[in-house]
Amino acid sequence: MTSPANPKAEVPVLSVQDLEVVFPTPDGDVQAVRGVSWDIYEGEVLAIAGESGSGKSVSVMAALGLLPPSAQVSGSISYRGQDVTAMADKELEKLRGSAISMVFQDPMTSLNPVMTVGAQIAEGVRVHQRTKMAIARSKAVELLHLVGIPNASQRVDSYPHELSGGMRQRAMIAMAIANDPDLLIADEPTTALDVTIQAQVLDVLERAREAAGSALVVITHDLGVVARTAHRLLVMYAGRIAETGMADNVFERPAHPYTAGLLGAIPRLDAPKGTRLMPIDGTPPSMLAPPPGCAFAPRCPRATEICSQETPELRPIGTQLTACHHAEDQYGEAEDV
Amino acid sequence: MLGYATRKLLISVVVLFFATLVAFLLVATVDPIAEQRVFLLSQPGGAEQVQRLEASLGLDKPLMERYGSWLGDMFTGDMGTSTDNGRAVTTLLGEAIPVTLRLVIAATVISVILGVAVGVVSAMRQYGKFDNISTFFAFLFFAMPVFWLGALLKDLGIRFNDWWGRRIFFTIGEQSPRLDADFWGTWADRAGHIILPALTLIAIQLAATSRFQRSAMLDVLESDYIRTARAKGVPRRRVITHHALRNALLPVVSYTGLTFGTLIGGTVVTEVVFNWKGMGRLFLESLLNGDVAVTQGWLLAVGISVIIVNLLTDLTYGFLDPRVRDG
Repeated sequence: MTSPANPKAEVPVLSVQDLEVVFPTPDGDVQAVRGVSWDIYEGEVLAIAGESGSGKSVSVMAALGLLPPSAQVSGSISYRGQDVTAMADKELEKLRGSAISMVFQDPMTSLNPVMTVGAQIAEGVRVHQRTKMAIARSKAVELLHLVGIPNASQRVDSYPHELSGGMRQRAMIAMAIANDPDLLIADEPTTALDVTIQAQVLDVLERAREAAGSALVVITHDLGVVARTAHRLLVMYAGRIAETGMADNVFERPAHPYTAGLLGAIPRLDAPKGTRLMPIDGTPPSMLAPPPGCAFAPRCPRATEICSQETPELRPIGTQLTACHHAEDQYGEAEDV
Repeated sequence: MLGYATRKLLISVVVLFFATLVAFLLVATVDPIAEQRVFLLSQPGGAEQVQRLEASLGLDKPLMERYGSWLGDMFTGDMGTSTDNGRAVTTLLGEAIPVTLRLVIAATVISVILGVAVGVVSAMRQYGKFDNISTFFAFLFFAMPVFWLGALLKDLGIRFNDWWGRRIFFTIGEQSPRLDADFWGTWADRAGHIILPALTLIAIQLAATSRFQRSAMLDVLESDYIRTARAKGVPRRRVITHHALRNALLPVVSYTGLTFGTLIGGTVVTEVVFNWKGMGRLFLESLLNGDVAVTQGWLLAVGISVIIVNLLTDLTYGFLDPRVRDG
């Protein structure tokens, strides 16, 4: 794995090793995650990027034991050295929301419609800390204020339907940092929001992370979202890691054609006039029967015979790790630009 | 909440007005002297007699005028008298309503409580043993006509009594005739009488309620906010009681309100099967005797009770769901 952003921290906050997740369905097994390893260290921001269905959400859901019971999980996930996959429900419940907490994609459906946001935040506090209701409530007001909700002392009694999407996502963030977690996981935190407030919510998330002193995993399909904040970047494709490294380096010189494709598909204000966006042709493969070899080969402009026969291993290319038979060519070309 | 309640109350008043219109027209548009008319008109001088008869019953006035005076009477509490036995309709209703109410309340309360419990447990262990057994019985009872289930239970009750050698289940009437007992004795006697008819209604209501609760619970358990609650570290039991159940009760509350009318229909049949002197029998007899005032009074009384139950349902719904309250 790449070197941690904070070399002093030796034990990662969360370590995922050789994770595989399979969902049995009537049509066959869906291989959602096929052997993924990554670590996140204290205070670090890790972005996991990829298209829908690339297994990015599933791999973090597994860390919290939030997958449906039918999911078959193998490999290990450890929080500060303790294996999470071996934990009993009670232990997991203690971990969730206090050590590791999560912000979900859709704030419209992720809040309980019949409870006030204050009650939902206070509940998170009281589940983990034995405090009086009044104290938990004032903590909820404080948290709502922290995430930039105006009139927090009144808004604490609002129901979710009385708040806008951006406000609801702020409330979700407030709920997630209520117990100063070591690790905050944000699963597509801005995808369901209007473009105009995406940046605000990202700022709030960053501020909340700093206030709680936690590490952050941001899952996204939009590299623009993580360009500013992520220390490290991990690009997933079809349940595997395509490329990982320090975010700046990967953005600067992608060594995987898929990463290059993702970057080419982002509109940039600083691009010369007349530059066209480069979409990636085709669609991601079905995870019921992923193609042999490199899963990206059918869509890859650099694909050769070997790509559809041999699965590329992650190997160091420049400053990053890349799973591509033609990584050198891609990396070299990026230098020329 | 207050604004919501007021709004619902006002709507209820409007609905009540239409209910009176329907109750009146349903009966008033049927000619109550159809047979006499045919007979009298075949006799010499019969036409005059028909006219006199019509005048004495007020049938010579236009329909809307008759409705107006009928409505006026209703407002003053005068519901007319039975043409069959000459007793006031209000008295007849006053005797019948408490009897039926006992049955309806017992059946509703028990079937809702059991239905919610069975539905929740089924949903939490979907396709488990309990779920499969309760699904089987739900469909069985749902498919059974009320009168048949009632007759079966009556037969079973009698066999049980014979086998036990003592009468446990009473199968006729709502209480023993000429009962001379103290307060507790009276209620014990009534309890013995209510078991079988109540079971009949409960079985059928429970079948639907438990299926409804099960599917509502399954929906809710899949929802994002349940995942959020679990991600917060809320213990499983609390996730069920505080997050899932409250949301999953909403469809069941509206279902219970909506099917109250059906329950009344089932009650009428059940009362006839078990010879209860309640609203069911009153209605049946009034129809058979062409007892216009009783039929109209009955329709109005039942209409009002359906409106009240729906109002209560709306208020409960508003209490449970803030989105409805504000909308």
